[in-house]
Amino acid sequence: MQQQSQQSSTSSGEPPGRLGATLLSGYAPLQGRYDELLSGPHALRPHWDAFMRSLADRAGPEVADTLALMEREIRENGVTYNVYADQQGADRPWQVDPLPLLLSASEWAGIEAGIAQRAELLNRVLVDIYGPQELLRSGAIPPSVIFGHSGFLHQVQGIRPPGGKHLFQYAADLARSPDGRWWVVSDRTQAPSGMGYALENRLVVSRVFPQLFGELRVQHLASFFDALRESLLRSAPKADEPPRVVLLTPGPYNETYFEHALLARYLGFALVEGTDLTVRGDCVWMKTVDGLKRVHAILRRQDDDYCDPLELRSDSALGVPGLTDCARRGTVLLANALGSGVLESGALLGYLPKLSESLLGEPLKLPSVATWWLGEPAALRDAWARLDKVIIKPLDRSPREPAVFGVDLSAAERAKLYERVAAQPQRYVAQEWVRVSQAPVLERGAREPERRAHERLSGRSVGLRVFAVATPEGYRVMPGGLTRVAGDGDSRVIAMQRGGSSKDTWVLSDVPVNASFSLLSTTVKPEDLVSSKGSLPSRAAENLFWFGRYGERCDATARLLRVAIAQVLDGTADRADGVAPALLLAERLGLVELSDDPAGDLLRAATHPDKALSGQLRQLARVAFNLRDRMSVDNWRTLNQLHNDAVFEQTATLPVALAWLQRAVTSMMTLSGFVLDGMTRGTGWRFLSIGRRIERLSNVCTALRVACNEGQAHGLDWLLDLCDSTVTYRSRYLVAPEWLPVLDLLVRDEANPRSVAFQVKGLAEYIAKLEATHGRFGSDVLAPAQALLRALDPIDLHPDSSALSACLDRLQAAANAVSDELSLKFFSHAVSRSVLSRVA
Amino acid sequence: MNPRYTVEHLTRYAYTAPVSQSWQLARLTPRGLAWQKLLSHALQIDPKPDARHDTLDSFGNHVTHFGLHGAHRLLSVRMHCLVEVAPRAAVGREAGATVQDVRDALRADPTLDDLAPARLSEPTPLVPFTEAARRYASDALLPERDWFDAVSALMHAIHDEFEFDATATTVTTSVDEVLQHRRGVCQDFAHLMLACLRSHGLPARYVSGYLLTDPPPGQPRMLGVDASHAWVAAYSPACGWVEFDPTNDQLADQRYITLAWGADFADVVPVRGVILGGGDQLLDVEVSVMPA
Repeated sequence: MQQQSQQSSTSSGEPPGRLGATLLSGYAPLQGRYDELLSGPHALRPHWDAFMRSLADRAGPEVADTLALMEREIRENGVTYNVYADQQGADRPWQVDPLPLLLSASEWAGIEAGIAQRAELLNRVLVDIYGPQELLRSGAIPPSVIFGHSGFLHQVQGIRPPGGKHLFQYAADLARSPDGRWWVVSDRTQAPSGMGYALENRLVVSRVFPQLFGELRVQHLASFFDALRESLLRSAPKADEPPRVVLLTPGPYNETYFEHALLARYLGFALVEGTDLTVRGDCVWMKTVDGLKRVHAILRRQDDDYCDPLELRSDSALGVPGLTDCARRGTVLLANALGSGVLESGALLGYLPKLSESLLGEPLKLPSVATWWLGEPAALRDAWARLDKVIIKPLDRSPREPAVFGVDLSAAERAKLYERVAAQPQRYVAQEWVRVSQAPVLERGAREPERRAHERLSGRSVGLRVFAVATPEGYRVMPGGLTRVAGDGDSRVIAMQRGGSSKDTWVLSDVPVNASFSLLSTTVKPEDLVSSKGSLPSRAAENLFWFGRYGERCDATARLLRVAIAQVLDGTADRADGVAPALLLAERLGLVELSDDPAGDLLRAATHPDKALSGQLRQLARVAFNLRDRMSVDNWRTLNQLHNDAVFEQTATLPVALAWLQRAVTSMMTLSGFVLDGMTRGTGWRFLSIGRRIERLSNVCTALRVACNEGQAHGLDWLLDLCDSTVTYRSRYLVAPEWLPVLDLLVRDEANPRSVAFQVKGLAEYIAKLEATHGRFGSDVLAPAQALLRALDPIDLHPDSSALSACLDRLQAAANAVSDELSLKFFSHAVSRSVLSRVA
Repeated sequence: MNPRYTVEHLTRYAYTAPVSQSWQLARLTPRGLAWQKLLSHALQIDPKPDARHDTLDSFGNHVTHFGLHGAHRLLSVRMHCLVEVAPRAAVGREAGATVQDVRDALRADPTLDDLAPARLSEPTPLVPFTEAARRYASDALLPERDWFDAVSALMHAIHDEFEFDATATTVTTSVDEVLQHRRGVCQDFAHLMLACLRSHGLPARYVSGYLLTDPPPGQPRMLGVDASHAWVAAYSPACGWVEFDPTNDQLADQRYITLAWGADFADVVPVRGVILGGGDQLLDVEVSVMPA
């Protein structure tokens, strides 16, 4: 082994030190495949040299630490790729290998030119097929290739998008054949995903190798996103106001929702779902708490046919009724234009070389993998004659009908496939099976204690997804891309949905790269500041409100369970004079169902993954998920730590539960600290704060009633503890808790942030602020209850006072009423939508 | 003198709860054709829409887009028109093309008739490719058979073997289900016939329109007069588009008023829309066609 690494040193210049002995042992090029790293046994390709030497220097423990750091970062940043119906639920962590795929400057230049040309060509094809259809009339494209593809939308025939750009964003999947050439395997043209993940990979991986990243002169991605943003703003239909761009997502259950939120945040666009938009007259509007705001451009991550239930799929609940007609009337830019999915038909690939000659007058620079449309009878015959060498794919990508490798099939299976294909040959293509290249991934031993000793490189199949965006100056290609890595199962299939991983892609530069890395600082103009004011989408307001309520609810639950468990541990819970009030309160709030074993009940409520606290944290996380584009990474990290806490993974004991509750309370305080410290006092903050105040008001009222009615024999320490007011009380009164001062502190004291009066005062303030701009909705119900509270006499501050009890009841009812009024006024877009049945 | 008709087509929705938003498309303007003249036409919408404008769709049908943005519990769309229908061109059968000839001709030149046949040979959501339909039609659509005779035989077969039954199907009943139960209404028979023709590589389109409500004395009342009717136009390079009505087992003649056409029913729905709110809805459609 040692000797082999010596050989490798001669081919790459410098001795790679421990590299060969540790990392490279077991890594070898495969027969019949291109290897991204090695040009021969132990011979590094030159552009990998510097990187590998640096990696070898860090091999061993440092690499292990690096890996652990990355995994934590991915998890805590909440980077996910949801797979529908995946067993791990909606939150499968995104997989990134720390080693980037390196591409030399000269190699990249070829890819870049090829992609820009291809995007231009594909756009011209769209212009024609949704316009004059000369290509179909002349036979340059068989009409069946277009009309027979489900992506062709006859409803959008004749629509000319602003600037003539149907294909605003474009992605291509590339693979490298054994001879080292790159080929296009497929085109992604309707709502190409991946550029957000590429961005996230870059953020994570460049942090792992900060120095190398600079030294190797890796090209930055920021300017690409800048171009995307600028281009959307410039191409949007002209209006009197600054253009408003939104990113349209199918919602949190989409598998790539993470990147929708990331891109929206990074680009500074509002993240919206179909129900956040509405068509009035001939324009698209966004529903905000300030009323309807015109939308000029939509960066679309929703599939074509789901975009408009009025004209396209009537069963789509995700779309915006009337959107197609707005596009037709040119009042909104859709990126991409509706109907662009037709280009994803593999049947088109075979016709592109000639189309390039005729439309662009130049040869196609980046070839497609040889692909034959089986609608041509000769192609069907030829494909079956060499079935071992081809993949049979349906034109419409469908999970029900995956691509088939001919070589895998028995004679009987071949006959069956033939029968299916021959019945509708125009629905299939045969594609040459390319043995794709392999690249090194860092592997680690599975078992924890030994894993440090096990880092090594192993080879995995890779494919490269690259991205382009239309600008007035032509197509701009992202200098990098998303490298997709096959799972260790079937090396031939590279798909995130099949459990693959990914890599960052480093395009090296021969010249110093432009280091202006920050996107926003270079592009914010005064008019953007104006447009960023106000216009909080109604759905975001609703989620912020519930984030406030659930956050407070989790906090209250954790505190209550902590108090109750402490009582159990002290033995103060079971006394002759009845059940401890903390337990009663927990029961009243639905956190436990009391049995003979209150300790066990509380333990489950606190630590069982299906019980009270865990359930509430999940609700909080779900709402937060919908607010992803508005949350800071730190905020996220805290939340993710909370609901993924290890305590839920195994049976806990009371002391463990208590420790967890301390942790939870601390984290909840951190979260509210972010709100207090990190959120601007805009409309959104007000919704969140109203949610918190309402929830806390309701909780304190309930606690006080339990204390007064059923807890008189149990002292007041627990109540002060629950309301986080022990320290205040002690510093003020220096006596054991007594009813009068305790009730004064918890009910009337407007300075105590846990008191009833404090919640009411804040609520009244926030409501007044909102009402000043949006009209009355809550002060009418709150004011009388507040007056009652103010009128409460100190002599009524004892547990048997009917005035106190009436006041608490009234306030709690007011809290609920304000919540309802608020929902009605601001969130009423949530009315369900029904599609008319058709006439028979 | 060619016959003239007045057509009244009333669509009324009653909702149990207020509808706050409504976006609608109406295809309720009869086409102007070589044999059909639209002499007058009015489309009244109540309540008055907040926005309304007209376009032509890619099949050349007239589409009225309208939106209602105030709360309402009733919506009525009333079309009134006067139409004159001349005889359609006689089916030119001199060429004597067979089913296979038609298929071959289209394969050799898919750009015939401005690409319409190529477009109308493909499966659609409501008329997907089905093996059952292909098999069902194999007897009628023999490759060596004269195209017109073959398509006529298919029309006879559907008419003879399927029962008109307004209760048997809904708008979501699939072609395969219709084939299985052998019952349906004009829309089902039209979709079935389209599935049969297209699965054999023969282009055909869905045509919607009207029939005279009460026939002249001595003639039987036809099926499908109570609402808009549907039939099929099949294409051959020699004969052009020939309109077959499998529900009544006859070619369309001067009694057939053409409203709209497309690849399937979804392309010609007289009124379709999306609403917010509304609760349950009651739909009432009245069509009357009178000689003018």
